[in-house]
Amino acid sequence: MTKLIYNRRRFLGTAAATGAVLASPAYLRHASAQSGGEVNIWTYNNFVPDSFKSQFEADTGIKVNVRLVDDQGKQFNLLAAEQPNPTVDIMTVAGHRFLQFIEGGLLAPLDTGRLTNWGNINPVYSESDWSTINGEKWGAPILAGMEVLAYNTEVVGAEEALSWNTLFSDKYKGKNAYIIQDMMSIVMLMKGYDGNMVEYLNDPEKAAAIVEEAKNFLIEKKPLVRKYYDGGAEFQQMMVNQDIVLGHAWNGPAAALINDGFPLAMAIPNEGSYGFVYTYNIANNAPNADNAYTFIDAILSSPEIGAAMTKASGFISTYKDVAPHLSEIEQKSTSFPEEQLANMKFFRAEANELKYGLVDPAVEAIKAA
Amino acid sequence: MKREISASNDAPRVQSGVPDRTFWGRLTGWAPYTAMMRLVTASPKRQFAILAALPIVWVLTQHLGPMLQMLRVSLTDAYPVAPGVEQHFTFDNYLRFFGDSIFWMPFFRTLTFAAAFTFCTLVLAYPVAYFLARHVSRRNQMLFLLILLIPFWVGEIVRTYAIMILLGNTGALNLALKWLGLIDQPIPFMYTGFSMGVGIVYLTALYMLLPLYSALEKLPKSMNEAAADLGAGPWTRFWRISLPMTLEGIASGCTLVFLISTGFYATPVLLGGPSTTVFAETIAGFFHVAGDQWPTGAAFAVLMFVAALLITAAFQKLMSALRRGESR
Amino acid sequence: MNDRVELYRGNRILLSCLYWAFVVYVFVPLILMVMMGFKDSKFIGFPIKSWTLDWYVEVFRDAEVMFAFGYSMLIAILSTLISVVVGTWIAVLLEGRRFHGRAVMFGLTVLPALVPGIISAIAFRIYARWVGIEPGMGAIVWSHAVHNVPFVALVVMARLSTLPKSQIEAARDLGADPLVAFIRITLPYLAPAILGASIFCLLLSFDDFVRSFFLGGYEPTLPVLIFAKLRSGMSPEINAIASIALVLTAIIGVWAERFTRRLNKDN
Repeated sequence: MTKLIYNRRRFLGTAAATGAVLASPAYLRHASAQSGGEVNIWTYNNFVPDSFKSQFEADTGIKVNVRLVDDQGKQFNLLAAEQPNPTVDIMTVAGHRFLQFIEGGLLAPLDTGRLTNWGNINPVYSESDWSTINGEKWGAPILAGMEVLAYNTEVVGAEEALSWNTLFSDKYKGKNAYIIQDMMSIVMLMKGYDGNMVEYLNDPEKAAAIVEEAKNFLIEKKPLVRKYYDGGAEFQQMMVNQDIVLGHAWNGPAAALINDGFPLAMAIPNEGSYGFVYTYNIANNAPNADNAYTFIDAILSSPEIGAAMTKASGFISTYKDVAPHLSEIEQKSTSFPEEQLANMKFFRAEANELKYGLVDPAVEAIKAA
Repeated sequence: MKREISASNDAPRVQSGVPDRTFWGRLTGWAPYTAMMRLVTASPKRQFAILAALPIVWVLTQHLGPMLQMLRVSLTDAYPVAPGVEQHFTFDNYLRFFGDSIFWMPFFRTLTFAAAFTFCTLVLAYPVAYFLARHVSRRNQMLFLLILLIPFWVGEIVRTYAIMILLGNTGALNLALKWLGLIDQPIPFMYTGFSMGVGIVYLTALYMLLPLYSALEKLPKSMNEAAADLGAGPWTRFWRISLPMTLEGIASGCTLVFLISTGFYATPVLLGGPSTTVFAETIAGFFHVAGDQWPTGAAFAVLMFVAALLITAAFQKLMSALRRGESR
Repeated sequence: MNDRVELYRGNRILLSCLYWAFVVYVFVPLILMVMMGFKDSKFIGFPIKSWTLDWYVEVFRDAEVMFAFGYSMLIAILSTLISVVVGTWIAVLLEGRRFHGRAVMFGLTVLPALVPGIISAIAFRIYARWVGIEPGMGAIVWSHAVHNVPFVALVVMARLSTLPKSQIEAARDLGADPLVAFIRITLPYLAPAILGASIFCLLLSFDDFVRSFFLGGYEPTLPVLIFAKLRSGMSPEINAIASIALVLTAIIGVWAERFTRRLNKDN
């Protein structure tokens, strides 16, 4: 993971220089002459900033239709049900999930040569190991998320939060919560295994044994947990209601609480954690593919747009040079100390079939136990 | 006995004798109309066929169609079919349920919960419906009923979060108890069977109230009065008159609530605890996580459906046996 | 005799206490919800440090929310009309008649009510494509209508089973044909059940998320919009939206009640 740090430092410098040139709206004028029409987007609330949307529509004459979604699985189901003639041009899929979409023939490869602003993306994300599949790029990274340990600073000490074991300690019995699926990967990591299971692609028996171990651990710790939750809003509500004082969370929902002044902090514990990246993807057979490229290129044009997405969602921007556009508290809630970031790995999709084939039944077993 | 009484109560009367100058009179006297009606009612068989045509077509195309599609999906090994993949017929999805005991627990838990919630709802809603139908003047009944219905416009999710605000550690209930000096430490109401029950009964009450109300509302007052004159106490009257005569409404209310309870997803997920996983969650899991499991999800849904159907059928049988017993 | 009156009154007081207790149970979460709409924070919950009207201002400025509200209303009304006609028709066919396949017909009638939301939504979606219904308002109305038919049928059947046969027979003896007898005797008798079932269908449709999500186009219904907003947290804005919906529907409800009351008086 030294690669991550190296890239961050190097590109933070160059970003400032290129930023001004790339933010120029010249391409927009070009695009408006060329088309008009519309572009259909499935995305999460606030992932397309309103001000950007109206600006884009005014500049290009392309009407932006946003369909709000709340979950990856539903996008997959919806898109699958619409085959072979989808109504959608752009979807929002997390990087480690799009293998499933690709194998289903639902996504078109992204021709980054058509995106003049591709270089505005921090290469930590755009050139990361998960982002290239079958020799092609499949999505433009927009926001990054992480699995973190979030805690109420009035109750839990910063030192304690540096280990996932705190989550399973008797001290916080009935005051913690986590998403089981995500926790399975983290428990594997805690036990010193590869939570992405890529290492065990050729050793399914070992993979099964590891999942079994993680499953038994979580079943053993079940009496300690207050709630297995699913969505960020649930986590926030449990924190506000003080039903829990610490828990595993995605950084986005946790950051939103911090920005609102709640005494919350988050850490990437020493055992490590996983990150994921939301990307804009173009659907296979997209009805307005040209407009989709115009849209993605436009949304990548300026760090201000990236900052607006971060402000609204709490997730980390994948754009270079976003920091100057964020307030102090927003910067704080979307950054981590270097030594913690060094423990972070990205989720990967190569072994997803093996992994989820084992993890999904394990999750059912934990819930049923 | 019951029939005569209600017949004398509020039967709309049909005009007769002299030529009828009302709209209906003119309509029935209008030649094309009478010709049409004669055609339609020529034989009981034809009359029945015309009555049955729309329901049969509707039910087959609209109710059965989507379900057959689901049944078909549950018997395949791949759905949605990716290009280049061949779809095969298989029973594996069903065998998977019977082959793995981890699915049984949520399955039976769901049926037990649904039955328990149905019972709780019945016990809670009956007095409310009774009060509405018997003790509120006819003029105000609709208003009182509406008072109860209005909150249900809020939507399941928002309502569920409101219950979190009520029952959480810093929720209204704990704050109130603390203010009253009854507790020092907050009581963890949330994420237990209790919080789930509070949320679900909230959702089901309406489904129980309406059929109970409409059954109780037509219960003749005179009967209760007659029984009271004969010296029957309130409990006797309730057991011997109100309850037997509203079995029909109880049956349809319970059927509704039971069916709906087995399908609840959002409320149990949001308000339940780690040990209250319901089967709808298991099924939804196949559609949410990691995909490619639609056929299994569909098969499990079919199993849940069959189980719920068998239970309701048995319940309906029981209720109609009870009714027959009463009317004898 | 006096004892009996006493007993009756005691009964009545007990029952009215139960009723009002139930009202409290139903309304407390709502009061909390409305309260939270005025909280000056991005999250709902206690303690409330300061109050604000900003969330309401935002909602009224947000054309999307207003549109979604009207859109959901329209869908609810249209789907209810269809469900009531079809559901009543089916109830009339099923109640009090013996014919081959009645049990099958009954089973098929209640089928849509039995299917868990997500499954029914996907089944509808696949079927809609097979039949050629485009996603959008028509598809949502269709799915809501199909889903609500069983509830109408069950409620109407319960009421119909108590219709004294003698009344219909009397009408027939007086020369009314089956259609006129139905419209003049049966339908008025069924009116309370139909009205109850309609309110019920309106609620189900207005509240539905899964079917609306899978069958909808690019215009969100209110629950779909709320779900999407929920991803960035349960903010007081959502409570403000729900409170406005609550007040508007309450007004419509009271107006409808007044209206039917006047209608009854005129008759």
